[in-house]
Amino acid sequence: MDPLLVVDDLHVEFRTDDGVVRAVNGLSYMVDRRETVAILGESGSGKSVSAQAIMGLIASPPGFITKGSVRFEGRELLTMAEDERRKVRGADIAMVFQDALSALNPVFSVGWQISEMFRKHRGASKKEAKKSAVELMELVEIPDATNRYRSFPHEFSGGMRQRVMIAMALALDPDVLIADEPTTALDVTVQAQVMQLLENVQAEFGMGLVLITHDLGVVAEQADRVVVMYAGRAMEKGTIDEIFDQPHHPYTEGLMNSIPRLDDLNERLNPIRGNPPDLLRIPSGCAFRPRCPYQQPDCAEVEPTLEFVGDSGRSTACHHWRDAFGE
Amino acid sequence: MSEPILEVANLVKHFPVTKGVLRRTVGQVQAVDGVSFDVARGETVGLVGESGCGKSTTARTVLGLEKATSGSVRFLGRELVGADMSDVRAARRDMQVVFQDPYASLNPRMTVNNIIAEAWHIHPGVVDESKHRTKVQELLEVVGLNPNYVNRYPHQFSGGQRQRIGIARALALEPTLIIADEPVSALDVSVQAQVVNLLEDLQNELGLSYLFIAHDLSVVRHISDRVAVMYLGKIVEFGAGADVYESPAHPYTKALLSAVPVPASRKHVRGERIMLKGDVPSPSNPPGGCRFHTRCWKVADICRTDEPPLEEITPGHQVACHYPETPVEIGV
Repeated sequence: MDPLLVVDDLHVEFRTDDGVVRAVNGLSYMVDRRETVAILGESGSGKSVSAQAIMGLIASPPGFITKGSVRFEGRELLTMAEDERRKVRGADIAMVFQDALSALNPVFSVGWQISEMFRKHRGASKKEAKKSAVELMELVEIPDATNRYRSFPHEFSGGMRQRVMIAMALALDPDVLIADEPTTALDVTVQAQVMQLLENVQAEFGMGLVLITHDLGVVAEQADRVVVMYAGRAMEKGTIDEIFDQPHHPYTEGLMNSIPRLDDLNERLNPIRGNPPDLLRIPSGCAFRPRCPYQQPDCAEVEPTLEFVGDSGRSTACHHWRDAFGE
Repeated sequence: MSEPILEVANLVKHFPVTKGVLRRTVGQVQAVDGVSFDVARGETVGLVGESGCGKSTTARTVLGLEKATSGSVRFLGRELVGADMSDVRAARRDMQVVFQDPYASLNPRMTVNNIIAEAWHIHPGVVDESKHRTKVQELLEVVGLNPNYVNRYPHQFSGGQRQRIGIARALALEPTLIIADEPVSALDVSVQAQVVNLLEDLQNELGLSYLFIAHDLSVVRHISDRVAVMYLGKIVEFGAGADVYESPAHPYTKALLSAVPVPASRKHVRGERIMLKGDVPSPSNPPGGCRFHTRCWKVADICRTDEPPLEEITPGHQVACHYPETPVEIGV
């Protein structure tokens, strides 16, 4: 059986007046049913752009997918005709966006927007669609769903709007759910509620979840596996325990060291020196090289590719991981 | 800890809600509703809470950017609430601010030199005009920027570098207190730590006090000596960082801390997560009694009617709750 979703050597660039912004440069990963894969990265790492490419939401121009493949149950999505693609979107692969307020239409009631999924994709009657929408709103624990059906997005709190987004994404019972920073705009107590909800619906529907985030805490608590991205590339891949207990890439290690922890009162934080790269001018060789404490002359010449560490399937893209982190 | 330089007592800031063409006042948003705390010389006090709890309004009111509805703000022995604008302005020389958004808080049309030196035009006599440029260069060096960047514009810098410019601007008048409102929230994790370290270094070198406002509980824990937790315009708990974080006495503090996801592997033992029901009520119509009672799992009848005062439960550890958690002995 084909894996659920396979992203293979994906390249996305934006051709702007200032030059070519290379947002994604050879990203590969796969997701199976009932599995949560976190795409961890800072701003400009290409994590969101890669999701938009999977969903077919890159505006072209200026965006171009120059290379690679995205397969859903073995079917290639990138070369698919737009009307075919539209059927995949929502029904097979759905997406939850960070900013629910701008992702929802302000002039329609939230119930109408959820029920639209059933009317447009399933040909349901108005009445059927409304019934299904109310059921979904109950599923995502929106209190008083029957009455809240008529409310508008601005009448909801941030957490409730995110629940509406999740309801819409679940409407067509997708196999893959891509959640792009689903809790970044939320307060921490509400974030905990929404994460719990995502976990519950995943357990119930058994979908594969791609969780895009910059938050190491969310990754550690929510995901099974992690892809650490930097400058549009995967730097390291592994399970939560592998990545958090023994990072095997200098960037991952640097990230872990720079966060303050509630339970750890080290006097000083250990930041990564320098700044993330300008995507118009990604350094030659390894993109992390200018900030790396382990860099060697060859790092500037040859771009490291992911190589396996041990036989558990974890991998790192560093020439010198053996010297830096041992076998 | 030495003498307090900032003493805030019963600070209230209400914003009127108006309606109709006559802008009739129909209600009050009780953004800050009776907040008291103090900051000592060389100390960092953290102010945490979720959006809408009033932490930024507290900062803005202390700075005099918002006019207090009532209460008192004493800074270096002078009362600022109700004081003349000239007195407030004089006080601001010693009380500077660093804002959250390093993209919006620097004028894009001004060079770094003009941004930092602007304060010396407003407060003449601090630095002689002929020395402005060298002093700006010194400040850039202090915050870890190349002193040759004086003629650059904000857009030529990254987010972290801009925040350093914001800090250099705050340092220009050699203040006693810096109010930092979410100073690292807009920065990437790898850069955030650089700015936190810089703030700590500056404190050690210059003896600065900080009022540090943030929603990120880990950052606040790291940088603060004492922490105040706010909920719906009130301080619900205030005390030494170790007391508040390791022995939270208010149910809200407990729930808030338990909700923070822990960035560690599955082997790491996590405490039980207290899932709060619902959302924060609106500050224009806050619940009576204890403002947290609508979401509290320990709620009793008295909580619905009587507002609990902020009281000391152990030395230096204050909590506003009728049924606080029993304090745990903290190992030193």
